[in-house]
Amino acid sequence: MTTNRTIFTAKTKMAEIITDYSLLTIIDRLNIKLGFGDASIDEICRRHNLSTDLFLMICRVYAIDGFAPDISNLTNGDIPKLIGYLQRTHKYWIESFFPNLHINIHTMLESCDEKSAKILNKFYDDYDDEIQKHLDYEENTVFPYIISLGEGKKDVSNKFCIKDFEENHSNIEEKLHDLKNIVIKYLPENASQQSRINVLNEIFKIENDLNKHSVIENKILIPLVSKYE
Amino acid sequence: MSGKIKITIIEPSEIVTTGLKRLIEQNGSFNVAKTFSTLQEYGGTPNGSPDIIIINPTIVGDSGYSDPRSLLQANDNTAIMAINYGPYDEDAFRSYDGYISIFNTREQIEKRLSAALKNSSEKETYDDSNELSVREREILTAVAKGKTNKEIADEFNISIHTVISHRKNISHKLGINSIAGLTIYAVMNKLLDVEDF
Repeated sequence: MTTNRTIFTAKTKMAEIITDYSLLTIIDRLNIKLGFGDASIDEICRRHNLSTDLFLMICRVYAIDGFAPDISNLTNGDIPKLIGYLQRTHKYWIESFFPNLHINIHTMLESCDEKSAKILNKFYDDYDDEIQKHLDYEENTVFPYIISLGEGKKDVSNKFCIKDFEENHSNIEEKLHDLKNIVIKYLPENASQQSRINVLNEIFKIENDLNKHSVIENKILIPLVSKYE
Repeated sequence: MSGKIKITIIEPSEIVTTGLKRLIEQNGSFNVAKTFSTLQEYGGTPNGSPDIIIINPTIVGDSGYSDPRSLLQANDNTAIMAINYGPYDEDAFRSYDGYISIFNTREQIEKRLSAALKNSSEKETYDDSNELSVREREILTAVAKGKTNKEIADEFNISIHTVISHRKNISHKLGINSIAGLTIYAVMNKLLDVEDF
């Protein structure tokens, strides 16, 4: 009943962890370039001025479902790297993933009746707005606050604290889950099968990504920042 | 000893059984009276039912039964809990009165045990057919039109609690939780016209 778990440590060769393809995304988001030869995770992290603990922690969140990160070895020096990672993830979603999903949904709806198409398009547009708002909030309010905190410039007049973020961390996964079931169960049969499958594949991918992303925000970022507030 | 809450564990891994027993019994009001590693060993509960049975869900899965209660021939007032080894979400344990994750702390386990006991005593029976009833279709239509629980309760002359319970069943049957998603279902199934909102 356990999934195939990748066991890796600081001494594991970086190339070996890529056997789990979701970790490929992480390497990219951490700005680590491919072509690492036989270097270990530790060596590559040092070369990139990245803490090995943080790197392993992010990899484990992705590789092991239900993994509970222990942040006691992380320091405030890890915060900028973590923010950079989250920002690059957002950038990928906004610039590449969601526009692509939108195109696929549009194609799928071309073969549907007008009513279903109209209402699903509206559903997706609203969802798109929600995602955009959520990410804007993180980019414009949460991250700048954390960065200024890291630079020791805590603005006393700023009433915001990381706990607000936790409370504000709305669930953007619910509608995706609904969309998935609508496409699987309720979209009429005349909708093109291939475009439906394309949409579903994308939804499965982003569901996993969003899920891991919130583990990183809730279980690593928030507790780490609270330590330095 | 009679005042203690009696617990039975059915789990093939000795490490898990021993660990769980130890954590649970640190709270003096629980007593893990019996442990079994297989279903054959367990055999049923002829002499007095435990208050809680904690079982590895793969045992239930492998048995071909979907409902752990009928598999275990347990009393209605015995709470049945699963051990969650992994990423499974709550939905996977719907047929149980609760579950314990192997990542839970001792405090969390205590809370979950108590919650499961409570659950089994005030059981809500789930209707497992997937067809919406006539009443559920009416309520779904009202939800899709944007009506609040209070408005729906007044319209149908039922309590808010009943409305909420209908909504839970609707979402469970359809696999759709958001109001926007329910609206799509309603339109696609002609319960509602696009012009209605």
